[in-house]
Amino acid sequence: MFKNHLKIAWRNLKVNRLFSVVNILGLSIGLAVTLILFIFIRHEQSFDTMYTNADNIQRVLLHTDGDNGQEIWATVPPSLGPTMMIDVANVEYAARTLKNDFGGTASLRVLQQNFTENNLFWVDAELLHIFDIPFIKGQAKGALDRPNTAVLSETTAKKYFGTTDPIGKTFTVDGRYELEVTGVYKDFAKNSTLDCNIMASGITTGFFKNPSWNNASFETYCLLKPNTDLASTELQLQEMLNKNMEKENQWYTFSLQPMKDVHLYSSGYDNAYASRIGDIKEVRNLIYLALLILLIACINYMNLTTARSQKRAKEVGISKTLGSSSSSLVLRFYMETGLVTLISLVIGALLTSAAMPIFNAITGQDLSTDLLLNFEFLISLLAIWLVVTLISGLYPALYLSQFKPVIVLKSSIVQSKGNIFIRKGLVVFQFAASVVLIVGVLMISEQMDFIRNQKLGFDAENVVAISINGIKGTEKKDALVSELKGLGNVSSVSLAQGFPGMEVSGRSLSRNDDDKESLNIQTNVTDASVIDVLQLKLLAGRSLPIFKQEKDTLVEVVLNKKAVDYLGYTPEEAIGKTIFISVPNTIVGVVDDFNFASLHEPIGAYAFHNNTGERKSFALVRYKIAANSTTIDQLETVFKNVAPNTAFEYSFLDNNLEKLYVRERRAAKVGFVFSMLAIFIACLGLFGLAAFMGEQRKKEIGIRKVLGASIMGITQMLSKDFVKLVFIAMLIAFPVAYWLMDKWLSNFAFHVDMSYSVFIIAGISALVIALFTISFQSVKAALSNPIKSLRAE
Amino acid sequence: MLLQLRNVFKWVQQGGQRIFLLKDINLEVAEGEFISIMGPSGSGKSTLLNVIGMLDTFDEGEYDFLSESVHTLKEKYRSNLYKEYIGFVFQSYHLLDDLTVEENLEMPLLYKKIKGSERKALVADMLDRFNIVGKKDLFPTQLSGGQQQLVGVARALIGKPKLILADEPTGNLNSQQSEEIMQLFKKLNEEEGVTIIQVTHSEKNAEYGSRIINLLDGRKI
Repeated sequence: MFKNHLKIAWRNLKVNRLFSVVNILGLSIGLAVTLILFIFIRHEQSFDTMYTNADNIQRVLLHTDGDNGQEIWATVPPSLGPTMMIDVANVEYAARTLKNDFGGTASLRVLQQNFTENNLFWVDAELLHIFDIPFIKGQAKGALDRPNTAVLSETTAKKYFGTTDPIGKTFTVDGRYELEVTGVYKDFAKNSTLDCNIMASGITTGFFKNPSWNNASFETYCLLKPNTDLASTELQLQEMLNKNMEKENQWYTFSLQPMKDVHLYSSGYDNAYASRIGDIKEVRNLIYLALLILLIACINYMNLTTARSQKRAKEVGISKTLGSSSSSLVLRFYMETGLVTLISLVIGALLTSAAMPIFNAITGQDLSTDLLLNFEFLISLLAIWLVVTLISGLYPALYLSQFKPVIVLKSSIVQSKGNIFIRKGLVVFQFAASVVLIVGVLMISEQMDFIRNQKLGFDAENVVAISINGIKGTEKKDALVSELKGLGNVSSVSLAQGFPGMEVSGRSLSRNDDDKESLNIQTNVTDASVIDVLQLKLLAGRSLPIFKQEKDTLVEVVLNKKAVDYLGYTPEEAIGKTIFISVPNTIVGVVDDFNFASLHEPIGAYAFHNNTGERKSFALVRYKIAANSTTIDQLETVFKNVAPNTAFEYSFLDNNLEKLYVRERRAAKVGFVFSMLAIFIACLGLFGLAAFMGEQRKKEIGIRKVLGASIMGITQMLSKDFVKLVFIAMLIAFPVAYWLMDKWLSNFAFHVDMSYSVFIIAGISALVIALFTISFQSVKAALSNPIKSLRAE
Repeated sequence: MLLQLRNVFKWVQQGGQRIFLLKDINLEVAEGEFISIMGPSGSGKSTLLNVIGMLDTFDEGEYDFLSESVHTLKEKYRSNLYKEYIGFVFQSYHLLDDLTVEENLEMPLLYKKIKGSERKALVADMLDRFNIVGKKDLFPTQLSGGQQQLVGVARALIGKPKLILADEPTGNLNSQQSEEIMQLFKKLNEEEGVTIIQVTHSEKNAEYGSRIINLLDGRKI
């Protein structure tokens, strides 16, 4: 019986080639997408699970009131780490990490050569107790106990030291710290949030040696004793804070985040140094997308199978008169479905390994298909197969097996209204889903265009930021500025701590020292030319003074309009007033608001000042005509003249801004590809359905042709039905798409308005795609010879 | 002369040899004739009818219809020609199940691009003539076989064809219904001068015609 079923199923596949190809192709693509996303999701979920203590490691989060309500930072003040290790009983170890230059790059001098390293972290020695990082050379234990020591990852060691044994060798960071290599560790796994190339002992620097309860820039991890209650630990943290800071000065509270959540549940948190940040929302969206695509593929199967019900009806009728039971027929149709899905699964798995590099390229991931051979995965593959078979086979099996033999065998046409309704409903669903996806893709790309073309309030074009961390001494820096200014293509040069698009120092702004209320403000140490370089609009006053005495404690500040608004001044009134940002500041100028952060956020308060707290890390160079390699060469030559022992590292400001939207661009790309696939699969279904509709109406077409219908007329007639379905799909899809995109756009403080045109374009493209798909079949049916279809039965 | 077939051959290639469906058919049909084509199953009756109706092509020979040489005409002209002058009646009626009697009758007129008001008039006229006014809003499945064929004939006639081709028009009917249809054909032929060519197995039906053509293995005998 079983063998017989299988044989019939196989023959059916072979006979109905079009049907089989459409089904298998659709399902394979659907399954391939699902498998790829499955691998991706597994990878995302596996983050940081490789550490032995993973269950007990926590990251400390800082909660504070920001401009837009509560903000959560992944970085905390440097005093927290050492204090909590002593004061909080549940904490076994705590370790601070600080990316060099508060998130910047490091200029290294190794074996008489200059390098730029953008992944150097200053860490506490305890980090190696918390995370068991396997060492290749040297020992984890005690590796960073002494100041001026560092450990390197395997790849980094190879890069800087080549074949020489790095242990005991020294190198210089930013011309300031000389570090001795005490160990080499295995590169961090791809699914580790921690991803340092170099870990240097934090106590080398003043920030670690003399910690404070401000300057919340330290990502801090702690290892709790096993089976510790999180809530009580957080209470202990609060008590510790109370002991060290007066209640009214506490501008933050702390909480703990399990290490296993760090990767996926941190997208809303500010200031994390990790570059490997996932987003549970993205993962969820991808899951929905994968399920949608799979569902569309399953619907194809249902649709095509029931569309052929007339052909199968006779078979069912005969089987039943010969004594077959309904359940045996259900089994038989399920076997057929199972065979199709099995073939699709195999092809889908092959497609997966073929498409993996493409997926990696689009998403910037580095996933491998090795997981496909994993035992656990094979089990889930089996589960996927069963589920897909059950879903796809459900309707055909139940529908077809219920035919009454008398009716089936008597009349040539069996067509219950319900069947048509469901089938049309399924097509409508597929197309509605496609239209939603098209609207989504269009809307996202429109928003991306908007971001690209949005007036930011400053001009990021034609500005290069050169890292000057490696240059020591004001004279040398000044020399660099004057040499740069001497270049023909350079119009202005400014030294600054940072530039729009990157985090600078977060402080709080208040009217005076006693003021209880304050506003978070980004502060940027710079000089007079910054307004010229960034082309900011000066509303009142002037720029920062050109000269500042070394020991002068007077701090001048140029505020943006938002900050002045908060203080309650007009720009003109503000000039000359003294306000308080950590120290008293005198307002010398007011510039118009500009987008210094991503367009996700509304514009906040910003200050350019000339206090000496932070380092000026960049020379911002504006040139007259667009930079080419010659310009960059000139810059490099000048740079090398001034600082021969420092690596020349630069970036374009506009490129940096682009990086703020990496995730959106990725989402747009992934969305685009998957939407195309979904639409393609939906079209496959429509194609098949049109073919069978054409076949079903063969007789009618024949009669009409004999009565004189033109080919054009028949084609139109056949297409009309589908066009109607597409229109219904649009009616359903538009509100859904509107709602979804409205939600997405609200992620941006600055966004495009939803325009009709997007919906019109989406509607027309869906229609065109559908018509194009159907037209093949319609024309084919219209061209068919009527006497063939009208030959007496 | 309405139509003339000269040395018409039609064949299919099967396993390297030709199987002849029509072999050297010569036929002249004058206007107002009523011809019955007879012969055993597979003798080529329907094929011949389809060739005459321009629904099927042939491989060799010549075919003139109203002094147009059909074999040289393009598909489009050919379809215009039969749309204009030929009406078809089928054994299994071939009415459209989704359309009412009235709409079924109207369809050939739609394809002839006849105006709405004129269409209405012609359909009403035809319903009246065939005594099926009361059934105009019914669907084919609600009619008996005889009534369905009546509609089929009415539909074939509505375009005022010069020639009606009927492929076993009574094959699915009982004897009384057959009789009625044949009487109708006879009346049309005699009173309105419509040329009729029918394929039939029944000697009795063949008697209605003025001439009988016998076919055997694609050849006139």
